[in-house]
Amino acid sequence: MADTALRVSAASSADKRSGLQKLMQRKSTIAFLMTLPLIVLIFTLVAYPAGYALYLAMLNKAMTKFVWFKNFDFLFSRDTFWMVVWQSCLFAISAVVFKAFIGFVVAHLVNNIPGKKQRKWRGMLLVPWVIPAAMSTLSWLWLFDSSYSAFNWLLEPLGIGPIPWLGETGWARFCVILVNVWIGAPFFMIMYLAALKSVPEQLHEAAEIDGASWWQRIWYINLPMMRNIIAITALFSTILTFANFDIVRVLTRGDPLNTTHLFATWAFRLGIESGDIPLGAAVSLFMVPILAVGATIILRDINKRGSEV
Amino acid sequence: MTARKVTRRFVAKTAAASSALVAAPFVRGAFAAGKLSIGFWDHWVPGANKAVEAASKAWAEKEKVDLSIDFITSQGNKLIITAAAESQAKSGHDILAFGSWDPARYSDQLVPVDDIMAPLIKANGEASAITQYLGKIGGKWLGVPGTPGAQFKGPCSRIDLLKEHAGIDIQALYPAGGPPKADSWTLDAFLKAAGACHKAGVPFAIGLGTTADSVDTCGAIFQSFGAAVVNAKGEITVKSDKVKQALEYWKQLVAFLPPDAPSYDDATNNRAFVAGKTALIMNPPSAWAVARRDQPKIAEQTWHHGMAAGPAGRYGPFTTPFWGIWNFSKNQPAAKSLLTALSQAPAIEEMVKASAGYDIPAFANLTTMKVWAEEGPPKGTLYHYPNPFNHQILSIAAAPAPHKIAVQIYRHGLETQMVVRYAIRGEPMDRVLGWAASELEGYMRT
Amino acid sequence: MADATITTSPGAPTRPRYGSMSRDRRWALRWSYFFLTLFAIFFLTPPIYMFVTSLKSSAEISAEINPWWVFDPTLSNYIGLLTDNVFLTFFLNSALISVCVVTITMMISVVAAFALARMKFWGSATLATGVFLTYLIPETLLFIPLFKMFAWVNDTFGIQLMNHWWTMIILYPTLTVPFCTWIMIGYFASIPKELDEAALIDGATWFQTLTKIFIPVALPGLIAATIFAFTVSWAQFLYPLAFTTSTKELVLPVGIITTLIKGDVFNWGQIMAGALLGAAPPLIIYAFLMDYYIAGLTAGATKG
Repeated sequence: MADTALRVSAASSADKRSGLQKLMQRKSTIAFLMTLPLIVLIFTLVAYPAGYALYLAMLNKAMTKFVWFKNFDFLFSRDTFWMVVWQSCLFAISAVVFKAFIGFVVAHLVNNIPGKKQRKWRGMLLVPWVIPAAMSTLSWLWLFDSSYSAFNWLLEPLGIGPIPWLGETGWARFCVILVNVWIGAPFFMIMYLAALKSVPEQLHEAAEIDGASWWQRIWYINLPMMRNIIAITALFSTILTFANFDIVRVLTRGDPLNTTHLFATWAFRLGIESGDIPLGAAVSLFMVPILAVGATIILRDINKRGSEV
Repeated sequence: MTARKVTRRFVAKTAAASSALVAAPFVRGAFAAGKLSIGFWDHWVPGANKAVEAASKAWAEKEKVDLSIDFITSQGNKLIITAAAESQAKSGHDILAFGSWDPARYSDQLVPVDDIMAPLIKANGEASAITQYLGKIGGKWLGVPGTPGAQFKGPCSRIDLLKEHAGIDIQALYPAGGPPKADSWTLDAFLKAAGACHKAGVPFAIGLGTTADSVDTCGAIFQSFGAAVVNAKGEITVKSDKVKQALEYWKQLVAFLPPDAPSYDDATNNRAFVAGKTALIMNPPSAWAVARRDQPKIAEQTWHHGMAAGPAGRYGPFTTPFWGIWNFSKNQPAAKSLLTALSQAPAIEEMVKASAGYDIPAFANLTTMKVWAEEGPPKGTLYHYPNPFNHQILSIAAAPAPHKIAVQIYRHGLETQMVVRYAIRGEPMDRVLGWAASELEGYMRT
Repeated sequence: MADATITTSPGAPTRPRYGSMSRDRRWALRWSYFFLTLFAIFFLTPPIYMFVTSLKSSAEISAEINPWWVFDPTLSNYIGLLTDNVFLTFFLNSALISVCVVTITMMISVVAAFALARMKFWGSATLATGVFLTYLIPETLLFIPLFKMFAWVNDTFGIQLMNHWWTMIILYPTLTVPFCTWIMIGYFASIPKELDEAALIDGATWFQTLTKIFIPVALPGLIAATIFAFTVSWAQFLYPLAFTTSTKELVLPVGIITTLIKGDVFNWGQIMAGALLGAAPPLIIYAFLMDYYIAGLTAGATKG
């Protein structure tokens, strides 16, 4: 992403203008100073505590002895842990796929709407993303409640239900994913809409003249043009969804039978609730390398495509 | 009426003892103008914080201590997080309200309070066995049983619905003002009633989730069968006939529970009760207190009473908070003085009153106050709530296992999970027990 | 990268007028409205239900009647909240934190993004990518080490960081700065190089180039980043939950959840009213600045 821009700018400015040379020599120092606040912030409040967490994850339960990777050893021998791994993947992947799909569709629909009306629709559809998630999840909890479920009230006359929304594994997983999609889809919508606006209109017109169908235009013009942003948004969202805490915590707390636990909520149960902080840290840490590999691949791909152009 | 007389006598006696107490061990002025901060549990019953706040402020005024008070909710595990945070950061409040299992968990960071517990026990009577199990670690009291929030989670029933559908006159079994005549109130009767109410569309709203209410109920029924998954020595005893018996009982009971029982949290049962959709929940009087405000007709038909007896005895689920003093507190004498002041019988009675009878003092002489006889409507609904006749054994799920294992059994809801696996998922008994044993081996980790 | 150059190239023809639209397009429009309505129902059901519930008394909420309708509307939940000092304290804390966090975020990320987008130096490419990777480390992992660090700060400098709302001003930027930096890198990269080169030749310093040329030109990007930072810091839940306990130190989402929910006694009417009031500031901001947001994201996004 950024480095391409840098290379281009550096190359073009370096070769011709000799007057700039002196400035260039001091440039890297200034640049470093300018990024220093960022580096300090990330180092002290993210990198260092993350390192500390790694150290914590290698202590014994009483936090008195350094045991290297024994905690991970222990985790890998637990069925529940692998269940949580599987559930986190299921949760994150399906939520992100649906968010991306809904965001993509809605962005196109909104983009079809002319001028002023578009703003209204956009505003309305963005509401879920704006309400603080912890609170909107509470309203979902209330909608799913077993005694007062407003959904079941609607379904009752149709002869359906009452559905135990959060009581059965299948439904509970569905609900947790649904709420995540609900909160996150508007963000995808707005990012994709932003990307759509940058797709030049004349490309579409040319395609239309050539007789390309609506579907073909989306597939051959919009998708490739939006590729980078789809990847970046999906990556960003996957990372946040994997680490999600609030939704499961408020809706199900991992019930029934731990079948809705994610890394974060499971780590919380082990570390904070049951008093095994090193083990909790180990669970939280486990997802970092998986995501890091995925993220590096995606970011690389984006950078490579960037430099090809 | 007898209860009232008894109460007065106790109050008078304890009040006299307490005034002597306050004067004795602590010399006023020794810690004057010091600072003290305390984190209380934020009470669920509206207005219940006032009594403990007033008592603390009166103490601060008298001792000239700069006291700051926080009320911290246990909702969203805020209190658990706060305790973990302060324990790790080694700073925070001087005194904090700890959950039932926390004295054991933070045993190396809490100041022993035997010196103040001894006179309190002398004045207020012996602390209940369950309180001792939870608060007295390695022979030392690590916290003073905190009255606000100490609760008995026995049945909270609808008089009319039990009578109509199950033919049980619960007020006759547990008459207001008199000892219970509840020999017929056994787990079999409980099961039959659950079946009848289920058929009538008002099933017992008992959860099988992993939060406290569900876990407590499940634990009490396990104990009624003498079923322990881990014994006091820390040996895994899950593969026993008693555990199997308990699971078989649960299998029958689960058939009569709401389908979403596995996802119940501590509020779901209350809502079912206030909505009038259930004949019985296992809960302290908070559901009734809400009904009294929002659905008075339901409140009028509410009766709190004892747990049904099983083959191994009559066990009632009980949880209690503790007020503990962190060892990093810089004003420990003042903290001890405040805790003494808060544990005097008159102060405790004020707290119980403010909580509309919700709180149950841990001390033997303080379970017959007149609050419980008088609260209503219906009058006497709380009479049997504090277990005044020691009719049942108060206990907590996973007791008497060693604390560090027990807390995991409790927080993971191991027993409720076993029930869900066996009774709802239909997994074979051996597999359920095998799974539980493997989980328990994990809990043994040090 | 091609798309960005086209975006900035002048004279791209605008969309043909609505009236000249083919039949095809008219149908597309109808279908768009139809599906959008469906999506709007999905997106707006919870907020509407929140609003409906916030107008009910506790008695009506607990009664077994049509939950989607208000039979006896009351504003008591709103009045109760707005006249409650505690709620106003939460609001004020949230507002102060958000304003400070947005300011700090923008100062850090704009300057850093400028350096990363325009001034190549050793490790700059890695840093630009690495910034984004900070999101890989979840808050749930960080808060216990942070407790330990705060204990150390307290021991060494005597500064107590636990249980103060302003501690959030230090913590939140870790959540906002990376994304904002990334948006700004993208936006700065879309600004023609001739602009800053000309300025530098004219003797402007790098800093002047940033403040006089880049910031005015990149205003949409700045606004987009600002809005993002605001939304994130307004809604943050875990850090304030872990680091603050006293009522006067809480922020809005945590405050509502911890003071209005009393264990098993949920105050649904007030919770919903509180949630809607809490959502109001960001909603208003989005309503006014949405166009900039989209414009700002466009460049940042496509350049990313």
